[in-house]
Amino acid sequence: MLSKNTFSNALKDPRNIQILWLSSFLLTGIICLDWLANVSYYFFVFISALSVQILFIRVNHLPWSALKSAVITSLGLCLLLKVNQPIFGLLAGAVAIGAKFLVRLNSKHIFNPANLGILVLVLLGEGWISPGQWGNEGLIVVFIAICGLLVTMKVGRLDTGLSFLTVLLIAEFLRTVVYQGWPMDHFLHTFSSGTIFLFAFFMITDPMTSPNSRKARLIWGAFLALTSFWLSSFMQLYTAPIWALFIWSLFTPIFDKIFIQPKFKWI
Amino acid sequence: MDMKIRFVSIAVLLLSTFQSQSFCGFFVAKAGANLYNKSSQVILVRDGDRTIVTMSNDFKGDVRDFAMVIPVPTVLKEQDIRVVDPTIFQRIDDHTAPRLAEYYDNNPCAPVIQYETMLMKNSMVLESSVSLMEDEADYGVKIEAQYQIGEYDILILSATESNGLKTWLVKNGYSLPPKAEEVLDPYIKNDMKFFVVKLNLEKQLDSEFEGLSPIQISYESSKFMLPIRLGMANAEEAQDLTIYAFTRTGRVECTNYRTIEMPSNREIPEFAEAHFDKFYVDVFEKQYKIENRRGVFLEYAWDLSATQPVKCDPCPTPPLVYDDLNKSGVGWVAQQSGWGDYSGQLFITRLHVRYDRENFPQDLRFQTTPNRTHFQCRYIINHPASGDLSCDGAIEYLESVVDRRKKELEEVELLAGWNISGYTNYVAPYEKQLRLKKGEDSKKGSVLPIGFDPKSPKFLLYIFLFMLIGLSVPWLFVRRLMKQYLK
Repeated sequence: MLSKNTFSNALKDPRNIQILWLSSFLLTGIICLDWLANVSYYFFVFISALSVQILFIRVNHLPWSALKSAVITSLGLCLLLKVNQPIFGLLAGAVAIGAKFLVRLNSKHIFNPANLGILVLVLLGEGWISPGQWGNEGLIVVFIAICGLLVTMKVGRLDTGLSFLTVLLIAEFLRTVVYQGWPMDHFLHTFSSGTIFLFAFFMITDPMTSPNSRKARLIWGAFLALTSFWLSSFMQLYTAPIWALFIWSLFTPIFDKIFIQPKFKWI
Repeated sequence: MDMKIRFVSIAVLLLSTFQSQSFCGFFVAKAGANLYNKSSQVILVRDGDRTIVTMSNDFKGDVRDFAMVIPVPTVLKEQDIRVVDPTIFQRIDDHTAPRLAEYYDNNPCAPVIQYETMLMKNSMVLESSVSLMEDEADYGVKIEAQYQIGEYDILILSATESNGLKTWLVKNGYSLPPKAEEVLDPYIKNDMKFFVVKLNLEKQLDSEFEGLSPIQISYESSKFMLPIRLGMANAEEAQDLTIYAFTRTGRVECTNYRTIEMPSNREIPEFAEAHFDKFYVDVFEKQYKIENRRGVFLEYAWDLSATQPVKCDPCPTPPLVYDDLNKSGVGWVAQQSGWGDYSGQLFITRLHVRYDRENFPQDLRFQTTPNRTHFQCRYIINHPASGDLSCDGAIEYLESVVDRRKKELEEVELLAGWNISGYTNYVAPYEKQLRLKKGEDSKKGSVLPIGFDPKSPKFLLYIFLFMLIGLSVPWLFVRRLMKQYLK
């Protein structure tokens, strides 16, 4: 039955763990943070993302395990995006997965699927992000951060997440504490939000839309952090990381050209 | 079972319970006067990058000893500042406050009668105050502008460093709270200007004192925030702030603290009616503690667009009209004759925040969202039918009343933390009646089920464990099956 082998096989594919963690965050939200009202939206997101993914799996003769990516994208959308009408979940899911198969370069998709879904809905004025939705509770934030570390280590993308967080942390520290003179807790408050860790570990670390070489990823993550810092501190844009990721995913192919390295494979 | 509705709106009686100070400015006292300021309210209007802030501060004290300093993002022009009718706060407060709805059971043994009544109690009184200085010296402080508006003298200062600003204020007769400096510097570095208000005493003393007018300021800035940190400089204890926000698109939400809906549509015991204000204050207190003294609480959200036929449901006061919106600074709606009175898109959000230095290290930052979902903080009481209960349906009815009353007691304990052990009489008479009806003499006491708090840490832990086990086991099976199937 459940042999040791089955278990270690299941652990081999980082997507499994990612699905496990992301769905546990979602359940935490539903149970502890009153997200129950959004369940119909979640349903629509899954329905559309999975059906579009199945469509392309059939068309492109991909392995069925590619469904996992759609599950991860759906979970990402559910965790980050809020919409006015649950039915817009259909659009978000379809845009995210559709773009993954249609907008491609060098056999890699360009945009992070969930990120693009969020961006389109925000631009349409039908969706928004609630950066404060996790509150600033130590327990949840630590949980997200640790799970994120584990997953990114598994995918070998810890570098992107850490480079992003470190640069953002330093920039924020220099601006708020050193330059403006706010006390430490003002600065720490910014980094006690679950949204930022979710983004750093589960969104930008997507192996398919980040550069292939480690060196490139470190630089890429740092640029992402600086852009995001600039947008949020000087443009007062609360969706800053989403925009930053959108912009920098356009440059991923260039990074891949400069730093040559084979493309990532899930298993 | 048919019910009739009677509606009671009680705008929260916060005065006695909520001890607080000015929301975004600190009050600067002259020569150590003992200042005290109660809960504050603010109307926020956001349209694109334009923000209109109307501040009410309930200051009780000698108005001559008073000044208010508010950080603002730009140098305000004269036309950007005005004083408004103080009744506007009362008006919006009444309309959006947490409410209690009453239902009357029909007597199952009597014919149906229809009636409906409305009852209202009310809330916050407002006043505000100021007083200031004069002098010019070079402390890196620059008077950017100087106006006289309403009963106020207004200065707009820019400063290059906090010490200079502090010295300048002190030199002009102001005793600054000791912690003010820690926040002055960040504001200066952030290129904020300081809006300093004092009362024009000559003007004020001419007329009989009837409370001070709220000040309304308007500016263009991408920053959509309320600078609460300055207000905390001279306050050790938590302060309450109620925010009424108007936008075109939808709800206003806090971006750096969690925005939480208050518990709503809960059935509470009849006796809570007489103490509804106390009840709500306790509910708020409990929620505030559950959320670890952090968070911004949503008390009301409603689409008030001209095209929206239901402006409130039920309405504690007549819906807001053009005049109210105009006073609040909502600039985009146009007056029109006929029903509805104004045209345009409009959404109102009421947020309640209790903040202190420890738990609110950052100023409140907001965003407007496209979320047009309605929300009202509403509690319900049910009055059982009185009179003859001799028909066949009576047993079933009495059973439902007993059940309901037990649940209502649990609710009041769960929501407000009230000790319900003294309220056995609330259920007992109906149980007795029921026993008599059923011809039973057994003396079963009413045992109250224990409420389970779904936010306790232990409960959280259980959920995590359940989730991990509950998800991983089926997943492994599914995976195995999929593998077999695909091979």
